[in-house]
Order: sequence, then C-alpha cells, then structure tokens
Amino acid sequence: MWKTASVLVGIVLVLITLGIVMLASTSGVHGETQFGDASYFLKRQALALALAIPVFFVMARIDYRLWRMGAIPLYVVTVVLLIMALTPGIGVTIKGSSRWIRFGPYFNFQPSELAKMTVVIFLAWYMTRMQRRAGEFLKGLVVPLILLGMIAGLIFLAPDFGTTMLVGLAGMILMFVGGTRIGYLLVTGISGGALFAIAVMQDALRMRRVIAFLNPYEYARDEAYQLLNAIYAFVVGGPRGVGLGQSLQKRFYLPESHTDFIFAIIGEELGLTASLGVVLLFAALFCCGVRISMHAPDLFGKITAFGITLIITLQAAFNIAVVTGCLPTKGLPLPFISYGGSSLFVTTAMIGLLVNIALRSDEDGPNIGADQAFTV
Amino acid sequence: MISKGQAYRIPAVSVLMLLVMAGLGARLAFLHLGPKEDIQDRVFRTRLSEQTILAERGRILDRNQNILALDLPVKDVWVCPKTILENGHAHFVTHQLARLLQLDPAFVYDRVNRPGRQFEYVKRFVPRDVADQIARMQLTGVHFDGVTARHYPQGALMSHVVGFSNFDGIGSAGVEQGMNAYLRGRPGLRVSERDGRRSEIYNRRRLVIEPKRGADVYLTLDQNLQFMVEESLDRALDAYNAQSAWAIIQHVQTGEILAMASRPTYDLNAFRFTAEETRRNRAIGYNFEPGSTFKALVIAAALDAGAVRVEHTFDCEQGVWHYGGRPLRDYRPHGVLDVYGILQKSSNIGAAKIALELGNQRLEEYLRDFGIGSTVGIDLPGEEPGILASRSSWSQISATRIAMGHEVAVTALQLLNAVNAIANDGFLMRPYVVRQVMDSQGRVVFQNEPQVLARPVREDTARLMRRIMSRVTEEGGTGRQAALEGYRVAGKTGTAQKPVPGGYSDRANIASFVGFLPADHPEFSMIIVLDEPQPLRTGGATAAPVFKEIADQAVRYLGIAPDVSVADAQRGASSHGR
Repeated sequence: MWKTASVLVGIVLVLITLGIVMLASTSGVHGETQFGDASYFLKRQALALALAIPVFFVMARIDYRLWRMGAIPLYVVTVVLLIMALTPGIGVTIKGSSRWIRFGPYFNFQPSELAKMTVVIFLAWYMTRMQRRAGEFLKGLVVPLILLGMIAGLIFLAPDFGTTMLVGLAGMILMFVGGTRIGYLLVTGISGGALFAIAVMQDALRMRRVIAFLNPYEYARDEAYQLLNAIYAFVVGGPRGVGLGQSLQKRFYLPESHTDFIFAIIGEELGLTASLGVVLLFAALFCCGVRISMHAPDLFGKITAFGITLIITLQAAFNIAVVTGCLPTKGLPLPFISYGGSSLFVTTAMIGLLVNIALRSDEDGPNIGADQAFTV
Repeated sequence: MISKGQAYRIPAVSVLMLLVMAGLGARLAFLHLGPKEDIQDRVFRTRLSEQTILAERGRILDRNQNILALDLPVKDVWVCPKTILENGHAHFVTHQLARLLQLDPAFVYDRVNRPGRQFEYVKRFVPRDVADQIARMQLTGVHFDGVTARHYPQGALMSHVVGFSNFDGIGSAGVEQGMNAYLRGRPGLRVSERDGRRSEIYNRRRLVIEPKRGADVYLTLDQNLQFMVEESLDRALDAYNAQSAWAIIQHVQTGEILAMASRPTYDLNAFRFTAEETRRNRAIGYNFEPGSTFKALVIAAALDAGAVRVEHTFDCEQGVWHYGGRPLRDYRPHGVLDVYGILQKSSNIGAAKIALELGNQRLEEYLRDFGIGSTVGIDLPGEEPGILASRSSWSQISATRIAMGHEVAVTALQLLNAVNAIANDGFLMRPYVVRQVMDSQGRVVFQNEPQVLARPVREDTARLMRRIMSRVTEEGGTGRQAALEGYRVAGKTGTAQKPVPGGYSDRANIASFVGFLPADHPEFSMIIVLDEPQPLRTGGATAAPVFKEIADQAVRYLGIAPDVSVADAQRGASSHGR
C-alpha cells in the first residue's frame, strides 16, 4: 500500500499547489479592497498550510487503531465545540452564520470542519463495535442515527445547510457500508430528505436560492448572480482558458471567487484541461482511498479509510456540482483548493490518517484479517 | 466481521461515486465546449465600458489675442458615504470638507450621512489647489474627478457677445452658442472592460481615441474699445437714470463689430444666478421705434432716387402741419428749410414732406435695401428682425410717420448697419463678430470675410449724405454735443416716445445717437441707445455726449489722424471770436 499512499499524497500535493496558485490569482482583488493587502488571503492560507503539514505527519504516525479509543472523546469535544460556536459571546457570526470560534487574535476555527472527521471516526468505531448487531433496527439504525443527527443538527443550527447535507449523507452511507439494512436507510433517507426540504422552505433565503436555481435568468441580478457568473466563467474559459491571472469574473463578478467558487476561476483561466483535470484528480484520490480501504487490516480501518475518502470526494463533488449549476448554491469549499484554514487543516489531517491506514496494512502483511474475513 | 452479503457495499457506493464524477466531467465539457456565442456576447456586452473623454473647449479671444473664455482644470469632490460611515469618521470628514470647501457643515453632513449610498457630490468645480489640499489629507471615502470648468477672466466684460457655456459644456448664449460647433471639439472615446463594481480595469483597454481640443475663436471685437464703451454706458446709466442702454461700434469698410455692449449686464462666471432679461443682448435683440435717426435713411433714399435735390426747400409750417386729417408737430417750430436744415434741425414736417415726394413704393424699397425689417445676419444668436410693414397695409399717413422713425421698429444693429452703408459709399456690409477660428494645430478652419449685402444708395448720394449729416453736430444742429475736437462727426440724433397701448407715452422715450467719423473718410460708426432716461431728455442731450465721450477715446486709441481742415476751422473760429 506504500505506492498507493504515495500516489495519494502526490495527488493531494498537486491539488494544494493548484489551490495556492489559484488563490494567488483570485484573492488579490478581495484582499486589496477588504484589507488593503493584495496577499492577505495568500499569507493566511500559507500559514494554515504550515500548521497543517506537521499535523499530517503526526496523523500519519499515530496508529489509526488508537482512534478507536479516541472516538468517544472526539465526539464529545466536537459537540462541545459546535455548541460553543452557537453560543453568543464565544462564537463568531459572519454573514448571519455562527460557524466560528475565535482562536487567538487572528484566527477563527470552524468546528463543523472537525465534525466531518469526527463523524467518520465515530461511526467507523460504532459500526465496527456493533458489527454483529448492525442489522438490528435499534442498534443498527436508531442509535447511530441519533448520534449522527446530534452533530448534523448542531451544524444545521449555525445555519450551515451544505455541511449538514454533507455530513448527513456521508454518515448514512457509512452506516450502509457498516451493515445497516438498506431498507431502513432508504426510509430514513427519504423522510430525512423531506424534513430537510421542509426546513429549507422555512428559510426564505435558502428557498429563494432554490427558486433562483430553477430559473436562473429571472434572478440574474440577485440570487442567481453568482450561479450565472460561475457558468459564464466556464463558457468564457473554453477549452484552453483565458490564461492564468486573466480572469475577469474574479473582479467582483464572483463574490466568492477565492473560496466556494474558486473552481469557476480555474475553469475560466486554465480551461477545460484544468477543470477536468481537477475532477480526474479527485476521482483518482477516491480510487486510491477505496483501494486503501479494501486492503485495510481491520474493519475499523476499512470504514474509516472509506469514510475519509468519501467525505472529501463527496464535498468536492458537491462543490463542483454547485459551481457548474447542477445543485442550488450552498456554502461548501472545494477541498485543498478553496481558501479556508480550518478546512485545509482538517482535510490534511484526515489524509494523514488515511496514509497511516495504508502503511499499517503493509506492516501487518498483505490482507491479514479483513480480506481473509471477507473470504470466510 | 463483514458478512458476505455486505461485501458489495463499498464497491457499489464507489461505482456510484465515480458515476457522479463522470457526470460532473460531462457537465464541464458541455459548459466549456458547448455553444458559447450567445453567452459570450452577453458577457462581453455587459463588461464592456465605453467612456467618453470630454474634449477641452476652445478659447475665445478678442482681436488682439486677449483671452475672454477658456477651460480651467478643476475637480469635482464627491464622497462614498458607505465607506465613510463604515470607517466611523463621518464627523471628522464633514468638518474637514466644510472647512476647506467653505460649505455649511450641516450641508456636508447631510451628504456624508446617507447609509448605503456610494456616490454623493459634495462640491463640483473646485479649484485644483483646494482639491489638492484635501487630497493631501488622504481622507478615506473622499474622491475627486478631474474635469474642466469654463472660466471667463474678464467677468462681465463683453458678456452679451461672448455668452456662456452651461455645465454640460454646451454653448448657451452669444459666441459660445453661435460657434459651439467649433468650440466644443471632438470628444474622445475609451473602450475598456470593467469589473463587477463598474470601475474600469486599466490593463484591459481596447481602444483609446484621444479627444480633439476645440478650436479657438478670435473675435473682431477689441477688448479695450469694449472697455471704453462699457465704462461710458455705466456712467450714462447713472447720469441719465436710464433703465437700460446699449451701444455698438462698427468698422466702416468691413462691417466688423469692434465693440458691442448692453446694460444691464452680468458676470459670465455667475451666469446661473442671472435673469433671462439681464442676459438679453439688447443691441441685437431689442426692437424699438428709432425716431429721428431714421430721417437720415429716408432723406438718403429721396436724394438717391432723385425725388428731391439737396437745395430744394420745404415749408415746415411753423411747427404744426395737418396732413391726412392728423396734425404733425415739430419739436421746435421752423419756417422754410432746405434738406440740410431739415436733418440738422430734425424737422418732422420737413422729413414727412420729403417722404411724400419719394412715394410709398420707393420708400419701402429703399428701406428694405438698407436692411430694415429683416435680420442682417450677424453671427450671434438672438438677433431680432425689426418691424417694417409692407406698404399694402400702410395708411395715407404712414409714410409721414415712417419718415420720422415711427410705425417702424429696428434693432440698434440694423440702424447702425444702414447708417454705416452711408459712411461706406453706399455699400451695406454684413456685420460680424468672429474674425477667424483656429484649431489646436494652428490651422485656420474658418475665416470671416467682409461681405457686401446690398448697395442701397450710390456713392455720390452717400458722399452728399455725409456732408448733410455733418451739419447735425455743427452749430445749430441737434447733435452738437457729439462734436469732437479735431474731427468732423456725421450723425443723427433720435428721440422716440415709447409706444404704449393706444398711442405713445409722454413719460418714457428712447434717446439715441448714431453716427460715424471722420465724416470725410469714415473709419468707424457707432450707435448709442438709452432706454427711458429720466427726467425726459432728447437723444441730443443724452446719447450724443456719450457718443462724444467714447469717440474721443476711440480716435486716439485707434490712431485716427485728426481732420486738418476742421482743426484749422475750429482754431480760426475761436481766434475770430476772440
């Protein structure tokens, strides 16, 4: 698995490099006008990266099996942090969303990013532990669903619909992979989806976004402004792109051009080659992750590895789907590429964990345990 | 561990995930490679910025290249209230702006305190040094736009001729309006792209067409002569309590206007605080019944047509003559006068009898040849045509009334131009105020040439008329006060009651004097009109001395040689008297 891990890290490095390059291209305009410093965002992202690299190595060193013991504390810490973010006075509210906790004088931490990792590790631990009773209604569905719903609900209250959906969907897929009966999950999924739809309809802003998504040209100046400008970016970019740094859309046409909509600028400046390249890189990352999962020494490693792979790739897919106009707008960054310290930090940590699982399967010899168990 | 039945789950989810990725890839390919003309056009159109670059307006100069109008670089000062309020220094900014721009702080604060607004003018056309002073303070949210403002260094001088251009740079009066096509230049164009906040992206300029500066207009008017005229008019307004007054000096041979003034006047730099009536150029835009000055034209016509000869005498009926059932009176009673005497003494009865000798048809034809009843075509906006009814509508006594300058209305310009034809050997010239127009490269793009409009009288008639009109300023004439030492002045006084409903006012008149000098070889002609001098005075008593005052300075300024024979005669007369 050493080779797979190397390819995986290689892919991640390419994505991070592309992210820094695109951040340099897009964030100058925003940094200049908001903070009077064209490299403001670039500096902060570089700092986050400098912190993330040691965390990656630490995660790659810690035996992933230790996380089985860490699952419950991690879950508790995450829930506490999520509640803190919602607490006035402790949490920081930006643009109507209470997603951040002040962390030092210059940095805010986003616990919902940590929640992604927590959900993966906690469910992997739980489903492994309940393996024999995973088919039961109570132990296989109700308990994990409540525990998952706790985290998803807190994120939902922020409000952060994108991350709620991501965490909810990824969590349910992990339950499915861990052995929960598909019939239960389908019913839960459908009713959960219905509840989510009702919640969205209660929120005027989100509802307008959905309507605008369905009739973009009627809302070209308001809700669909971002969406249409993102689509323009791809169209203008064409097969070869307009050239690095030459984007017009980043000049205040796309308000989130350095964060959630950075992918559109990649399409505009570097063309189909790069945008399709990013999709292929994430697909390759997914394949690497699945391969590591398949060869994991035990079930906990298998589910954790798959969960990490899934949640990163799923987030990338959501982001790209939004930017290309396939899904209504919601705030989800593109992993490794969008500006955002918490996201980069947690994602890199998860990759470290994934690498550790890959390396453990080498140490323990080929396919001891898990794969043999499959064949039993 | 995982039962066999569940082993398919990870691969199944993986396949689904990869299908989603494939779908996104297809979507990307569709967006990047799909039909794009429509969207590209839309994007291109909304992002394109086409900015007009204003051209500097040309200058206006007098005949000696003194600048009368020019564009000065100034700045519009505006604020972005949103930024200022977000920075929380609204009061500080208000204080500084009010102090430096000399504005009421309450007014400035009202402009600054508009949440959400991103553009509010504080003051436009601020002098550059003041704007620079503000700029040095580096107040966030305070911005400047470089523009130009029209400036008139001479203020009120020649205001009615120069006119003004409005805030949009469009000439709206006088030469500014008449020559707008030359003065305005050609605006430039900057085609560029703009960002999402509507500002230009400098490194994306596609096309820059530099503006073409407007051409300079050189007038025929002389700033110094104009100054003399305006000074004298102001004194006359004071001295005679007149409502208004106007005057023109014309160059005899070419018809060029050398000076043209109208009172009341206004400072061109403050045109927007001025009433329409004040802006009116009365010298070309005010129709009035000329009175006795008109006799000069009628007598010239009668002599030219051979209807009367200069030595013919007419009985002036001792002041009252009944004709056509209506009495006609003279100002002072006269007995038998020849043509010289009729003009010199300004006898209404004599002039009426001459007009009757000439007959209606020839009278009207001659007057129309002199340009009465139609615009003379000066290159200024706002010229009035005067009023001369066609003879088919004349009554039996119309000719006798026209002979003394009633039942007819003229503008000062019209009357002066007709008298100027007498000074100019019978050639009626087109008057003009623009000598030439020169573009920014120094090329002459327009040149006015003297133009003969008509020849109402023969040369010998004109010469004879000059002698007759000289008598007016000599001993025994109505215009003695226009006489000038060393020069013979030809002219005619005019005192016309102003028409009121149902007749003529006995309380308001228009007093005028029109003439030229030197009488034998005229260099310039001039008309002075005083509207409602109080107490009631004649043209000889009011306008003639103003004429003299101006002419006295003008002959010296223009370097016109004194008339030797007159100087000798005057010396002889004075020594004889001793």
